[in-house]
Amino acid sequence: MYTIELQKVRKTYGEFVAVNDISFSIEQGSVFGLLGPNGAGKTSTIRMMIGITAPDSGSIGLFGRPFTRDNLGRIGYLPEERGLYKKMKVLDQLQFLGQLHGLTAADARQRSVAWCRRLEISEKLQSKVEELSKGMQQKIQFIAALLHDPDFVIMDEPFFGLDPVNAGLLKDVLLDVKKNGKTILFSTHRMDQVEKLCDAICLIDGGKPVLQGSLKEVKSRFGKNNIQIQYEGDGVFLENNPLVRSFNDYGNYVELQLAPGADPQQLMRQVMERARVSRFELMEPSLEEIFKEVVGKPDA
Amino acid sequence: MHKLLLIAKREYLERVRTRSFLIMTLLIPALMFGITVVPTLIANRMDGGPKHLVVVASSEAMGEAIRAELEAGRGQPTRQEPEKNVTSKRNEMGAPRFIIDVDTNTSDAERDALTGRLKSKQINGVLWATSGALTAREVTFITTDLTNLGENFGIQEGLSRVVRQQLLKSKGMTNAEITAALKPVDLKAQSPMGAGGPNPEVLFLAIFAMVMVLYMAVFLYGMNVMRAVLDEKSSRVMEVMLSTASAKEMMAGKIVGVGAVGLTQVAIWVCASGVLSSGFLIAGADALKGLMSLKVLVFFTIFFLLGYALYATLCAAVGSMVNSEQEAQQLQFLVAAPLLVSVIIMLNVVQNPASQLALWASLVPFTAPLIMFVRIAVQTPGPPAWQIALSLALLVVTTYGLVVVCGRVYRIGILMYGKKPTLPEILKWIKYA
Repeated sequence: MYTIELQKVRKTYGEFVAVNDISFSIEQGSVFGLLGPNGAGKTSTIRMMIGITAPDSGSIGLFGRPFTRDNLGRIGYLPEERGLYKKMKVLDQLQFLGQLHGLTAADARQRSVAWCRRLEISEKLQSKVEELSKGMQQKIQFIAALLHDPDFVIMDEPFFGLDPVNAGLLKDVLLDVKKNGKTILFSTHRMDQVEKLCDAICLIDGGKPVLQGSLKEVKSRFGKNNIQIQYEGDGVFLENNPLVRSFNDYGNYVELQLAPGADPQQLMRQVMERARVSRFELMEPSLEEIFKEVVGKPDA
Repeated sequence: MHKLLLIAKREYLERVRTRSFLIMTLLIPALMFGITVVPTLIANRMDGGPKHLVVVASSEAMGEAIRAELEAGRGQPTRQEPEKNVTSKRNEMGAPRFIIDVDTNTSDAERDALTGRLKSKQINGVLWATSGALTAREVTFITTDLTNLGENFGIQEGLSRVVRQQLLKSKGMTNAEITAALKPVDLKAQSPMGAGGPNPEVLFLAIFAMVMVLYMAVFLYGMNVMRAVLDEKSSRVMEVMLSTASAKEMMAGKIVGVGAVGLTQVAIWVCASGVLSSGFLIAGADALKGLMSLKVLVFFTIFFLLGYALYATLCAAVGSMVNSEQEAQQLQFLVAAPLLVSVIIMLNVVQNPASQLALWASLVPFTAPLIMFVRIAVQTPGPPAWQIALSLALLVVTTYGLVVVCGRVYRIGILMYGKKPTLPEILKWIKYA
């Protein structure tokens, strides 16, 4: 069953087409990545999914039925624009947001305490939000999105601005959420995270879907023509090499894309002649490479 | 409805729990007190003790008569019932206003000498009341307090009385006859509903106070709504809220919550002033009878709520359109303008509650909350029922219309960051939302 299904959804603001005939569906219990550069229409798409705005045309189905606001209580949303009531205490704030999502006051309080313990911010329960660090505020917001145990979790750039330890903490929580059969939608332009978590993706650019499908399928579509090489010596020979279509020097290693029809064996021989090779790996393209290729501009 | 109440409750608690609520609750009555009472006190009591005047008269007798009149009347017109005249009562209790020397030297040299003493601040004024000046009814008063109009008027009145008394005396009237002849008439304004109605002065003050409370409350709490929306917008909490509550619920919740804070505050003021002035209320029960009638209180509440709803809705829409306090302040004036106009019209309507101006101003929804209330409180017999009904109906319909229109502006405005929208853009929001 699909948790959410978009069919030819379109949204314009005056002359500007923000979302242009996007269709995709997210299967229950899966993690879905909504990708795209800044301004591609990700947030506009999400806003229509949760009824903040209405599509100009097309339809949205939620939990197997046409969209109704009654189902909003089953969705948890972490917006990209983070915001909490600054003067409210953490516990009061979580209780308020929980109640808005249909929890009773007592239940909301109990859950808030448990969540804060899990995310290691119990000692801040009685602090005002404005007294917290940015990372802590983000954790509160994260809890607010999950407090009412939603069936569908929407996270807009959930790890933005978090240190690796805290990002890991939240990632583990999300994996647990997935294990419990909930559906998760990620919206991000950070490809490395998507690669680790997502089952399927939809890449949009300029309001239009340009690439979608399961992660495996998308990657296989681009074939194994990427090579990572780790070597000591001068890499000048890679420049203007007819075998190489493009390459990226990351310092510790080089990632390159073979020219169409080029033989990887031939390249390996060339490299061995000019430099001391410690690793030579033929691999699937990273999502970032695909992203750059499809969108045709660097990740903003 | 459940969400609306939750939002309203949050707004209410967040405001009532703050220190600024407590401060405002205490400060505003203090401020009103300060604006109305303190200047009177200063004018009446704190003008630096008695003033030293020199009366220059042609004869000792005339000089003494003037001195007696000014010192006794203390420069105030006498009243038949001084106990009702608050000002003269206060003066009787207070220190004498004038210390008066009589001088019968009417030469120019003396005039120069006295002016010199005046310049060196040894005396406060010179009254040049020679027989010639009195006959011409044109007396020169050389003073350093040129603009103390009240006091100068009192001296003028006192001199006039002395001249009249002397004139009558010279015609051979006895003192008793003179007193009877000069006894002023006390005009007692009375409503056609019969005697025992409210004292018109007290009525005017009470109505004025209530209108000011109405005005301040509508203005302050309207602005509060604007700030709340702006806060929510700038803290970006909007989007989280919108993912569960509708824009209409959010707007209505805010208006209800802040309005409840306003009612709480007004209730505190009413109760506190009731307790503090209960002695006065018992003493002045006659004066207040028929004034604080149930009718007036009920209409006060109705017009407070409707007026607040009207302006708060406008404020919410404005708050949703702007991005900063500065931008809000520019538009704030536009919202407040009709309220200010209401207060100006009100000053006229209190005196002419049956005028054309009063009729129209009490029907136009933006001025109706203040003006119709004033008419109901002042006009006797009250304004026709159909006018009250029409005024209320127009107010309710307009408020509802504004809720719909502003709800649309709000819905889009709260998600718009960056530049301030232009009027055509806002019209587009209203059309498309």
